[in-house]
Amino acid sequence: MERYDLIVIGAGPAGLSAAIEAAKNGARAAVFDENERPGGQLFKQIHKFFGSKEHKAKIRGFKIGNDLLKEAGEWGVKVVLNATVIGLYPEKEITVRIGEKILHYKGDSVLIATGASENMVTFEGWTKPGVIGAGAAQTMMNLHHIKPGNKVLMLGSGNVGLVVSYQLMQAGCKVVAVVDAAPRIGGYGVHAAKLARCGVPFYLSHTIVRAAGTEAVEGVTIAQVDESFRFVPETEKTFEVDTVCVAVGLSPMSQLLKQAGCRMKDTPGGLIPDCDEYGATSVPGIFAAGDVAGIEEASSAMIEGRISGAMIAGYLGYLEEKAAHTRVEELEKALESLRKGMFAPENRGKFMKKTEEGIDTSVSLLEHGFLADNEVEKYPGVIRKAGTHPVIECTQNIPCNPCQDACPKGCISIGSNITSLPVVDGTAECIGCGMCVASCSGQAIFLVEEKCEDGYGTVTLPYEFLPLPAAGQKGIALGRDGTRICEAEVVKVRSAQAFDHTSLLTMKVPSDMVMKARFFKAV
Amino acid sequence: MERIQTHPILGDTPEGKQVTFTYDGKILQGIEGEPIAAALRVAGVMTHRYTKKRHEPRGVFCAIGRCTDCVMVVDGKPNVRTCITPLKEGMVVKTQYGASEKEGEV
Repeated sequence: MERYDLIVIGAGPAGLSAAIEAAKNGARAAVFDENERPGGQLFKQIHKFFGSKEHKAKIRGFKIGNDLLKEAGEWGVKVVLNATVIGLYPEKEITVRIGEKILHYKGDSVLIATGASENMVTFEGWTKPGVIGAGAAQTMMNLHHIKPGNKVLMLGSGNVGLVVSYQLMQAGCKVVAVVDAAPRIGGYGVHAAKLARCGVPFYLSHTIVRAAGTEAVEGVTIAQVDESFRFVPETEKTFEVDTVCVAVGLSPMSQLLKQAGCRMKDTPGGLIPDCDEYGATSVPGIFAAGDVAGIEEASSAMIEGRISGAMIAGYLGYLEEKAAHTRVEELEKALESLRKGMFAPENRGKFMKKTEEGIDTSVSLLEHGFLADNEVEKYPGVIRKAGTHPVIECTQNIPCNPCQDACPKGCISIGSNITSLPVVDGTAECIGCGMCVASCSGQAIFLVEEKCEDGYGTVTLPYEFLPLPAAGQKGIALGRDGTRICEAEVVKVRSAQAFDHTSLLTMKVPSDMVMKARFFKAV
Repeated sequence: MERIQTHPILGDTPEGKQVTFTYDGKILQGIEGEPIAAALRVAGVMTHRYTKKRHEPRGVFCAIGRCTDCVMVVDGKPNVRTCITPLKEGMVVKTQYGASEKEGEV
């Protein structure tokens, strides 16, 4: 039986971060993961993360995964793959199945970071081949490079449903609709807006009646639901699809904690261990971090992991108590800032009528996925002036601020409160560099020039699809709602390493359309 | 379903080694090391197994080895999770009926 100072179960963002933090302080750490590859879900996450610099904002998930693995290697963390932990005992012993063998390890401390599994809803035909989890779609397209389906309907408008829908489009699939039984979109408005402007319709207060097909899915029927989630008669709508993707939340995979005798809490978000703020469970030396301790997202999982890792280093005597607490305090500050704003854990499911600034929330954004043209200008990121300038359609208080550092000219400010809406300063001079456009993880920043020549102006937008249009290409400008509003011509396409795969497409449209045109479609 | 040749964020898909395997006797191609389920999906195979009692089709659902809906008989062994089992040259993959490779058996 081999012994480690710290045994971590799960090599995702929380587990790796905890192991690194403990190893940095001298602990001998091993991470066990049942998968063939480490990183948890990070390597499937190809979008830019939210947050601030310390949260690795504007960096894509798979890059963060690579960085974590490198760091783990540098600190001598041992990562054991294809290793399924099948038992955890209060004495901090684990049994692991590796190949055909069952092996036995002992830790002076154990951290559980097993993450979460996807929830499911049932409907007629839900077991048919072609009904898949959103995680399955991400795995197929972003890890294995195959299209999960050609025509897809997404059930669930939380961030997972929205982000995966966008990724499906990037992979070349058609997303026919995003459907949610809730009356309002659950995820970030900016993620919804990215889909809406490409023409993806949202059906809120709708759910799936049935998936049809003789062998596999050939179509799906949805219908409206009332406040008690009962179908409203004669509201059925059928789509021809080969894939139904389900993104209806996650549940913590907390079985091992329960097995080890940790005190558990039954919460609306699933069965989780009763932990203190550092992730310590009721069993001394057993910790939990990341989604298994309560569903959040990868950015907070990484910090939770670091906090537990520092506390474990303290618990094991590798770090003096005072030093551990100093480190943890610094990390907790970073974690707190991620838990602020309209999507903070305590606001989950609540309808926020006003922003922190006292501006009315866009109901159109919540119900249809796009800002109405006549409400855009009430937000502080949207100004009108001569010459090129950023227009920031960021209207919800979310913890994210890379845009304010991206602008070399000081046009954009968020201030010290990370959830404040970005403010565009009309007196500062915009040089049209586009760094703000590429830095915005929500793709909510556009450069607008109302008059570049007689009767025409330009709109520069973030573009993350293939084929990339070229200068001179003619097409159609789509509005925020994805409808065709005018003819457009591409005048410039910029790609740069600093933009990290977000190209900047500049299109020429009639001057009166610059505040409406938000996407380019080649014809 | 198709393979993604080039992706706006991930770039060109790395070229893998082509291998040959059989699916219910048919000769198919795939990439060495990719999940069996990926190669099958590219070949248009959606049904991996039929349930024992009601003979209902099942296919890939979670794609991470958790739900076991995608199990098939691989090289004579039933209940192999094809979504996480790497494809190898010469593999013999068969549709699973209940827990067997033959219809009507248990």
